Amino acid sequence: MRDLAIKSGDVNSLMSSVDSGMNVRIVLSSGIGFASSNRMSKAEGIHLVQSAYRQAKGCGWKSPVSLSSEPVVKTSWEVQQKRALADVSTEDRLRFLRGLDSAVLKTKVKVQGRFYDIRDWEISEYFANSEGSKVRSFLPRVMIESTNIVSSGGETEQSIREWGGCGGWEVIERLNLDHALPVEVKMLRTQIEKGKKVKPGVCDLVCGPEVAGIAAHESCGHPMEADRILGREMSQAGKSFVTPEHIGQTIGSGYATVIDDPTIPGSYGYYAYDMEGVKARPRYLYKEGRINEFLHNRETAGRLGLHSNGSSRSETYLREPIVRMANTYVAPGDFEDDELVGAVKNGVLMHSFTEWNIDDKRFNQKYVSREAYFIQDGEVAGPARKCILEITTPGFWGAIDASSKNVDYSSGECGKGDPMQGVAAFMGGPFLRLRGVMLK
Amino acid sequence: MSSLSHNASRLVEIARKEGATDAVCEVEDLAVQQVRFSNSRIDAINSWTESHAMMFVAVGKRVISSDLRNLDAADKEVRALVELGKKAPPSKSYGGLASGRFRYKLGRIDRKTASVDDPAKYVREAIDAAQDAGAAEVGGTLYIRLSKLGIASSAGPMGNDEGASVEMSVRAFSQPEASGHAVSCTPSIKELKPREVGEQAAELSMMARNPVQGDEGKLDVIIQPLFFGSITQSVSHMVSALRVEIGASMFTKKIGKKVASDEITFIDEPTVESTSRRAFDHEGVPTRKNVIIKDGVLKTYLHSTSTAKKFKTKTTANAGPLIPTAFSYATEPIPFHPVVLPGDWNVDEIIADTRRGLYLNNTWYTRFQNYTTGEFSTIPRDAILRIKDGEIIGAVKNIRISDNMMSLWKSMDAVSKQVQEVYWWDEAAPPSTLPTVRARDVTITRSA
Repeated sequence: MRDLAIKSGDVNSLMSSVDSGMNVRIVLSSGIGFASSNRMSKAEGIHLVQSAYRQAKGCGWKSPVSLSSEPVVKTSWEVQQKRALADVSTEDRLRFLRGLDSAVLKTKVKVQGRFYDIRDWEISEYFANSEGSKVRSFLPRVMIESTNIVSSGGETEQSIREWGGCGGWEVIERLNLDHALPVEVKMLRTQIEKGKKVKPGVCDLVCGPEVAGIAAHESCGHPMEADRILGREMSQAGKSFVTPEHIGQTIGSGYATVIDDPTIPGSYGYYAYDMEGVKARPRYLYKEGRINEFLHNRETAGRLGLHSNGSSRSETYLREPIVRMANTYVAPGDFEDDELVGAVKNGVLMHSFTEWNIDDKRFNQKYVSREAYFIQDGEVAGPARKCILEITTPGFWGAIDASSKNVDYSSGECGKGDPMQGVAAFMGGPFLRLRGVMLK
Repeated sequence: MSSLSHNASRLVEIARKEGATDAVCEVEDLAVQQVRFSNSRIDAINSWTESHAMMFVAVGKRVISSDLRNLDAADKEVRALVELGKKAPPSKSYGGLASGRFRYKLGRIDRKTASVDDPAKYVREAIDAAQDAGAAEVGGTLYIRLSKLGIASSAGPMGNDEGASVEMSVRAFSQPEASGHAVSCTPSIKELKPREVGEQAAELSMMARNPVQGDEGKLDVIIQPLFFGSITQSVSHMVSALRVEIGASMFTKKIGKKVASDEITFIDEPTVESTSRRAFDHEGVPTRKNVIIKDGVLKTYLHSTSTAKKFKTKTTANAGPLIPTAFSYATEPIPFHPVVLPGDWNVDEIIADTRRGLYLNNTWYTRFQNYTTGEFSTIPRDAILRIKDGEIIGAVKNIRISDNMMSLWKSMDAVSKQVQEVYWWDEAAPPSTLPTVRARDVTITRSA
């Protein structure tokens, strides 16, 4: 893992680390035990097995549940790098980050906080289970985080964003951030100087891909995690408004199709096999407005008499693998982007968000715009500042009456588990048009 | 030469011989047992052990750090790190390391905490107590953490420390939408109160039964220590000098200014016994009590040697980890154990004195739309109890606090005598010791 952060053009920190370790998970009829260590030796391995076995015995289950039955696999997978991350020198990384800083400075926008952080990992894993599965993998992954605090006339706006993908340095090069960041800070200045508050009331809303993506992640992906649904995260990330009996029930309009797909090439949340050796595949969580398929690992699938759909992930070998999303997005529709706006008489186009949150049953969410514009008579008008959408999950998904053809993705670290595990994820979607929602 | 500080010192010496002008090494041995439970049964018992060394080296102004995870290869990795450091770009903001030889107030792990071999029994006790008190479903976590630290710096500091923390978190549901949450956090297993935690969570869940839709508007809110822990987390980050420097703080240019009500004195107190007591910061400076807000007035930011130099002041002994963590940038000054000093109210008196308000058990997902000004929202969870004319008259659900963080602190007009150490997940974190407080005229919103 390598990390370089600059603050207003100056090096804030530089880090380089190599980590290795192992874990053992033992499933008995009495429970599950998991033990891990960063000490690598045969003796430590034996100790982990003994610990995990003792812990599994100690759970004291009265109604044992076995893991779902899955095919035995013997395979390997890796993500190729055109330019290996290990070959990119600190000088090149710094040159890149300082290039971003210079590009932002050239805009003449007053940006008090300019904090840019580039981080990458090269992760080699070997998985084996007692059923005979063996999976080797190599996953290079890289991300950039930017913090820009823009001020004008004594007011401020913030942009805290992240971009990432799997692969080599080419992931970074194709982001075109030397163009995107100047555009971002100029947009924030315009929001401050020309943005007007939305008059609270019911109107039409066109959401950009970033907003569609966060909604897909927060109000579809999370409530469709089977461990939440079964209560296993009840005292941390919470439960879900969804129950096993909800499969097939209506959650939104026919445009509400949300897919979680770990296999998107180059994606930040990419993997080919999950942490239990189950082959990854796209999962249709909401399908044409109906609750369709939960995210499962072998534990939750076993409890519901199903098969895993390859959703077991962990942040590191030190942590218990649990049910996670990968790349969650709203399926594209059949409209051009401008057609969505063209059919709105009075409304708002919310391109992106800043503050957001959702309750622990994943039913009440809030998105505050970072970039938004009024729509008048089918045309994008002046900037709308801090437009607030505070809405229920069926309220959001049920209001969509059109979606555009092109999907775009954002990157983020999805947090869940105890201890908190951050895992890489894409969130995305097309432009969505919501009819008659309350904006504040 | 077997102590952790000697190992750290040896690695510092290797770095110096290779050409580092400054070096700090912090060696940690960590052993954690965790019991996770839900639906009133144990889901998994987990354990992990880590031995690693966090190493920072400077060659002049050229700085680099590493988390040395393979201690058998640490000598070689330190040499390689210094070579990388020589080629690293200079950091103008690096202000050197704290110098001096210090005596530390050391911690000790008590023998009983170190030798717990059946953590599940405490969990069963909590589950049973919660069920006895009316809970239909009980979930939570028990942690037992044992940590040994050794630090050495080329500028002089060198020492060892050790500590334990035992944390139990219990969330009880009496109905699908009626829950209560309670925690017990202590450095010693002898002080853990599993039965009380289970009972408290269940009692709150019983009070939260049959919640009705909450209303929008301005209400007084009484927030329990667990809820307050999430709020102080936000404030704790924003008093870090690094956050102030990059503008991601509502406390910029507020030293000497009123940032909270007269009732609020907010300190960082890592020196007294708690689950996050520390003898030294990550530069090796002895930790100390720092008064951050006194009677509502901001007194200081939290500093390392480097940020103190930039701000033309002295370190507050809050240098953060030498490597980035999930919640802090590398070298960012951080608080270790936030404390809000007790007031002179009993919790019952605060409730009795409230005409129209809410009593709030817990919250999560606190997010800011503007760190500079403090506009934020947070989502109360677990027991949200309605107060009318000094009495709790029922429960509500589906609300959000959407307000300004500094306004919230300025409106706190009642602080309880009773305080509690709280630590839960990554919300009420780091561990803190807090009272119950009342804030006036807080904006409540909800989904349309």
